[in-house]
Amino acid sequence: MLSRNLRFLSRRYSQGVTFRTTETSPSQQNENQIGLFYTVNNDVCKQLFGHGGLPKSYMKQTKTFTETSLMVRLPALDIINCIKATDFDKPVIRYMLYGEIGAGKSLTLAHLLHYAYEDGYLIVHVPWVSEWLRRVPRHKEMSNSPTHEGLVDLPLDGAAWLLHFKMQNQVLLKKGNLKISKEYVWSKREQTPEGAPLAELIEHGITRVKYACDVIDALISEIKILSNSKQCKTFVAIDGFNTFFYPLTRLSTPTKKKVTPEEVTLTKSFMELTKNDWVNGVIILTADQLGVSQDHQESHLPKYLLYKKGFEHIDPFVPVEVGRYSEREFMSCASYYRDRLWLRGPRETEGELKLASACNPYKFMELCAPL
Amino acid sequence: MSNFRYKVGPIAKCVFQTQSPRSNLWCTLMQYRFYPRPTSFPDYFQNPIFRKEDQAKLIESNELTKLAALPVKPPAAYETSSVYHDPLVSKLINHVMKMGNKKLARNLVEKAFENIKRIQIERYHLATTPEEKAKVVLNPKDILHKAVENSKPLLQLLPIKRGGITYQVPGPITEKRSLFLAIKWLLEATNDKERTIHFPEQFAWELLDAANNTGKVVKRKQDIHRQCEANRAYAHYRWQ
Repeated sequence: MLSRNLRFLSRRYSQGVTFRTTETSPSQQNENQIGLFYTVNNDVCKQLFGHGGLPKSYMKQTKTFTETSLMVRLPALDIINCIKATDFDKPVIRYMLYGEIGAGKSLTLAHLLHYAYEDGYLIVHVPWVSEWLRRVPRHKEMSNSPTHEGLVDLPLDGAAWLLHFKMQNQVLLKKGNLKISKEYVWSKREQTPEGAPLAELIEHGITRVKYACDVIDALISEIKILSNSKQCKTFVAIDGFNTFFYPLTRLSTPTKKKVTPEEVTLTKSFMELTKNDWVNGVIILTADQLGVSQDHQESHLPKYLLYKKGFEHIDPFVPVEVGRYSEREFMSCASYYRDRLWLRGPRETEGELKLASACNPYKFMELCAPL
Repeated sequence: MSNFRYKVGPIAKCVFQTQSPRSNLWCTLMQYRFYPRPTSFPDYFQNPIFRKEDQAKLIESNELTKLAALPVKPPAAYETSSVYHDPLVSKLINHVMKMGNKKLARNLVEKAFENIKRIQIERYHLATTPEEKAKVVLNPKDILHKAVENSKPLLQLLPIKRGGITYQVPGPITEKRSLFLAIKWLLEATNDKERTIHFPEQFAWELLDAANNTGKVVKRKQDIHRQCEANRAYAHYRWQ
């Protein structure tokens, strides 16, 4: 009796349309599951996105919905299939996700990260490049780089990213079979010997924040060497990659000189990583309008957002568009919202919301909020 | 004379209308715009009937043929036949609005609704038994209606001067004024907040409190009622 009541209640706002799939492993998902939601395990979620990676508004939703559900969508499946069919002896293939604001680029990236995690890749994930270059909180720390002449370090951001990296790859790092290839001397008393595990290098960056950016530089060259020697396969994901190519950052040195992205050491390291001069890896980038200032948001196409320089930098790349919801995806999303009590009201509401949101996922979510 | 009519007119109306169903009056009050100044439309222009339900009702009662021949005012931008159109909500938005910035006002009210929804959904998930779950009102618009209903005063105090002394005389209140007071009090209670708390959050809490028959606004209403009760000895000043 009680269970029947419960079932009735939980069905109170849901409808017949199937919107969930029990296939929680991204590598097993196929075309039949397009438009269906799968739930990411909480522990995995914490490990992958504990230090950023999911958009803020989505994090709010996960709290309200008491679960982290991602929709299986075509762009992610396409890329997963491509990765499965890739020959890892050839130079890395670069995928570029692009699409309108709110189309789901970051969540597609999250889906792909989940795939990479399950498949045992070493994940190099930058949650949001603007966080480094364009967001200037009151205590943004900047210092001139001791190793690179004329460049600027962001020690706190670097250390935070190292923490994020450590969190995402804790399983691989714990094994300890990833060794560094040469000795790094940081100062008179501090050095990392040759053959030390990768975790030690990261630990040094986190504890000695001053060297965080240099550690990232070293880490990235080490990762490249390790992948080249087939000791690990690497999955690089950078959200808002086009921010690296916008002519100016919001940072300025104490002498009020504006800083360009090339003058930041982090940019240099990640430029090095996104070249295709190494093998055994995958690179997924996104071009996002929100990553640049408002006067350069007219188009969402990569050629416009990346400028000539960025376009040439990643030139042979696979563009993947993340579009608006299709009819089926929209209906499935609406019934998911109904199930999670986020959307209520008569059936005609969906039709209206579809017109008002133009099937844009983020707008749809926003329009549902006050209903 | 005109002043007198202003004071007595609404009261008489209120007395007459106590028999008619309240919800009907509620609807008529909310749906038609009140023009403070003469408009470009002559008197014989009819108010638009923009809801599909109302139109169906007209067709049913065969009044449409009468109206069809009459000129009709154009509906305002907010008078839509959308599924989620709610007259009380659009009225509330107008009360929140400052300097004609309706976009901002609408945003604030919608954010408040979102906050209410999040709080209530959380409560829903926290509730353990189905009975408790069923009790949680999840629709923010229902909560708004309940809150406004709970904070509407039934009596008001009018200052009336008799023999050089101004007495606070209790009297009946019109539907329209009590609605106005309810919304005004809700907004005043909301704006009485810390600088760091934002309007939507505070407004959500106030609405939830009022819907629950607790909180500042309901207390204010009860205070007014209590004062009316205490001043009942002056009631005869209304007509003497």
